Amino acid sequence: MKKATKRLSLLLALVMMVTLFTACGSHVNTAAPSPSSPAATAGTAAKTVKTLKLEGGTDWGAPSPFLNESRGPGTAKMKLVFGSLLEKDETKDVSWLAESWSVSGNDYTFTLFKNAKFHDGKPLTTDDVAFSLDYYKIHPPVSNSLGSGNSYIVDHYTIIDKQKITITVKKATADTLSDLGSFVIIPKHIWEKVDDPNKFKGEGYLVGSGAYKCTKYEGATGSYEFTAFDGWCNGKPAAERILFVPVSNAMLAFTNGEIDITTLPADLMDKYTKDSTIGLVNKANDTGYKMLINFQKCPDFLKLELRKAIYSALDRQSVVDKVFRGAGSVGSAGYVPEGSIFYNKDVVKYSYDPAAAKAAFSGKKYSVTLLSADSGSDVAIAEIIRNNLEAAGITVKVAAYDSATRDKMINSGSYEFALVGNGGWGNNPPNYMRTIFSDVSKNKGGNPHSMGPIGYSNEEITRLAEGQMSETDFNKRIQMFKDLQLLVSKEIPLFVIANQSTYSMYRKDYYSGWMKTYAYQQAEQNRLSYMAR
Amino acid sequence: MKKVIILCAAFAAITLFFLYGATLYPHGSRLPSGASLEAPSALHLLGTDNLGVDIYAQLSSGFFRSMAIGLATAALAALLGGLLGIMAGYLGGRFDTAVSFLINILLSVPQLPIMIVVGAFFGQSTGNIIWIIAIFSWAPIAKQVRAKTRSVCGTRYVQLAESYGGGALYIIVRHMGRDIFPLLAINGIAVIGMAIIQESSLAYLGLSDPLAKSWGLMISKATAFSGIFFTDFWKWWILPPVFSLMLSVVCLRILARALESYFIKER
Repeated sequence: MKKATKRLSLLLALVMMVTLFTACGSHVNTAAPSPSSPAATAGTAAKTVKTLKLEGGTDWGAPSPFLNESRGPGTAKMKLVFGSLLEKDETKDVSWLAESWSVSGNDYTFTLFKNAKFHDGKPLTTDDVAFSLDYYKIHPPVSNSLGSGNSYIVDHYTIIDKQKITITVKKATADTLSDLGSFVIIPKHIWEKVDDPNKFKGEGYLVGSGAYKCTKYEGATGSYEFTAFDGWCNGKPAAERILFVPVSNAMLAFTNGEIDITTLPADLMDKYTKDSTIGLVNKANDTGYKMLINFQKCPDFLKLELRKAIYSALDRQSVVDKVFRGAGSVGSAGYVPEGSIFYNKDVVKYSYDPAAAKAAFSGKKYSVTLLSADSGSDVAIAEIIRNNLEAAGITVKVAAYDSATRDKMINSGSYEFALVGNGGWGNNPPNYMRTIFSDVSKNKGGNPHSMGPIGYSNEEITRLAEGQMSETDFNKRIQMFKDLQLLVSKEIPLFVIANQSTYSMYRKDYYSGWMKTYAYQQAEQNRLSYMAR
Repeated sequence: MKKVIILCAAFAAITLFFLYGATLYPHGSRLPSGASLEAPSALHLLGTDNLGVDIYAQLSSGFFRSMAIGLATAALAALLGGLLGIMAGYLGGRFDTAVSFLINILLSVPQLPIMIVVGAFFGQSTGNIIWIIAIFSWAPIAKQVRAKTRSVCGTRYVQLAESYGGGALYIIVRHMGRDIFPLLAINGIAVIGMAIIQESSLAYLGLSDPLAKSWGLMISKATAFSGIFFTDFWKWWILPPVFSLMLSVVCLRILARALESYFIKER
């Protein structure tokens, strides 16, 4: 019986994955399981705990849809407090505030849980969903899956009753269901009086619709406290409280039991992988570093031969060996990292050739400033790049700022060369190829996955990057991504330095619910990691 | 005097040790010269950091950087503190009140938090580090110089020189200088040590040139290395800059005290 259930679950998972890519126009009516249903719990066995403690110390903004920092840790905290219609598990989209949904052409109908409510006890209805859509159209949130302006994906909506709403999109694509399932629902009774959400910190600004309430936020110390919401409608939170506490040294804090999960340093891999009490979540090649050139400020580098020479100048293997301590790989010039099913192994590979780089830059006397974050790895990579480029004949000054400042400078174009590191390179499908490389979609939204080359334009890259969204045939879509990568590797709009593989390490005997979704590997940032499943 | 000579010799030995590392030692402090995190060996006396850059070469470069920043800061602070202290003590009146008020404010506010804010505002550069530290270092010098000037002003030989029509500059240089200038020199040396600590602190907090070979930055980078205290790397990556910092600052501090006792108490 168990075997049969498992097979059924696997079959269901496979079907759901295929429908994810082919749902558009296929009139599929899907009733997905809740996080606690058998299909979602296959292979997992997490118990509930009083407190889960994680490394804090960084201010990722208030967990409001308009105030969180546009990076994974900021979005993840906001999403603990504010619920969306759908969530993702290991293999497919699953219900979150919507207990079921169906797709018919451009119409996406969602049915909310009957007992869904906000943290202040007020019922959460389709009026709030409709209000959120209207509000986001005028005031795009930090993490925005709906688009804005002309690219706003929703055409109109129809409220059927308090529980059921049909959202009609302008054009259904392979990712529309995920996009509509991702925006967070805000309470109409609070936000309808707010004209400037980016400044609103008044009463109720953190009254959310998620499984956890934000009960404490101290930006100065980077401390957060989330408390399980008694009125949560879909399953049971796994912890009574989630604490993000400032620690001076994460490994020491983990060893002393001050935090329950941390990143396993590559140098300690042998020690901890042999420890049977330690559980690991592998995040293969999920963190990546790229170097951007602002071509408006450095127009000489629009010459392809100079960009090729920069690749020749960069000893990217040394980044893997010295900074990642061997845990990672040299970045694919096509951007999507090795290991992804979308990865194109036939992209152009640029090897380290300092002599060729030196010859290319001989007599040119370029001098640039490289913008970087001030964290350990970022500065170390910036130092390697500085050394490599100076060896090739380019004078480099490194300017390092905290991550938030660096991001703001990149988004405003205040840089010549910039080093950007972020997680989520293993996202599946790699839609960031559109938001980074498409001329019509890049540099919108402020997220590192939308930081593209300024002053560079390429029609064919844009056509492929935008076109893959409309392709509902899964295999054809993979091929489009591969063609796009090949073109990116040939044209070099930006430089992919390296990808880092990391492990999250936790104590199995205390809590083992940490999970990856089919689209995102960062276990600490996935909402289902904090649900009893 | 013997104590002063011994301490000067000790400081000269430290300088020579680092001079070798900065000049004749075969590895540079800027580029990698070995594998990542090599343990100390005959080839790399104090090992290498994660990028393969020699630690001894970095330490040596850091010493001269710290000393240069310390000397520049001390010169600026001594100039500003000496000038304002002498003028306040000699002129008295409203100017004295204003300078004393400024001194008391600077002595009463916590320096490091303000330095961090000012440093973050003006950006990462060695020049900024020097003037920021100097701004906060002149007040104790001015306070002591002002007090000394006032006490010397009351002596009969200064009053006599004034009654003979001696100008302010003449009286300060010829009659007050021998009492004030040793005080300035001693305080200046003390500022060097303090400036080294403050520069290291600001560098540790990321308010210095991010790629500078500074002791504070070395400590910062090493402690930020994931899991360093669970490996042996800390022994050659963290201990040498910490030890160098302590040794240099303690040596300068004791030298300043020995000079103080020689110039002010024994003479």
